[in-house]
Amino acid sequence: MELTEELKTKMIEVLNLEEMTPADIADDAPLFGEEGLGLDSIDVLELIVLLDRNYGIKITDPKAGKEIFASVRTMADYVAANRTK
Amino acid sequence: MMRYEVLHTVKLCPSYLEVDGNRIAEAGGETSFLTDLYRRLGLDYPKFFKMDILSKVGFLASEFLLEQEGGERFVPRADRAVLLFNRYSSMHADQTFQETIAHPEDFYPKPSVFVYTLPNIVTGEIAIRNKYHGESNFILLPEYSEQAMNQAIERAFLAPGTTSLLTGWLEALSENEYEASCSLITVH
Repeated sequence: MELTEELKTKMIEVLNLEEMTPADIADDAPLFGEEGLGLDSIDVLELIVLLDRNYGIKITDPKAGKEIFASVRTMADYVAANRTK
Repeated sequence: MMRYEVLHTVKLCPSYLEVDGNRIAEAGGETSFLTDLYRRLGLDYPKFFKMDILSKVGFLASEFLLEQEGGERFVPRADRAVLLFNRYSSMHADQTFQETIAHPEDFYPKPSVFVYTLPNIVTGEIAIRNKYHGESNFILLPEYSEQAMNQAIERAFLAPGTTSLLTGWLEALSENEYEASCSLITVH
């Protein structure tokens, strides 16, 4: 499975996006704000846990989150470059 | 003793939903009864799926209750308060969260569960969605007691400007064990 699809599947599971399928999430769609998935601050914390638990990535710089979690594609790029498992 | 008028009532348990004493729905589908009821309301409110059981039950009870009221929804108002009661607080969310931190080798506190480890989150969910600016309170009682609830209701109506209450008993121990017995009441 492509990393972007894998991330979408995991996001749907951990964020309880029950009405959505991976096909509903565009790779470049913004994850936050009304134009995108509309995720909130608690969702960001879940995504941080997701990256730690599944890919061994610990995000220590809060400012980096804005770029990392801009879209599924930016997440996938970051995971591919920084994963330890 | 204060006299108030009960405008509408709702009772939701794992086997049925009653509104104003009329059986509206019965469980029996293959999916969760709570999810079935959410879909029946035809809402576009994906936050529902993120809620813990207590909030889901309270949210649905409030929606079916307010559906009966009719009129314009989501208009800011300070005259209505939300006052709920139970015995076991947010026990289900508390236990679910505890499970995420129970194992030292698999220690991943789950933020989306943690935010529901207080019972008054559900009163906040209802108040925020409906733009109620009156009191929002969740009171824990040693046991179900109409006398204790009535005393709290009377106190709530003493607050300046409060003329309406969304109130009742709301307990949720699991997906298969919950009860909302709520009403919309007013004093004139």
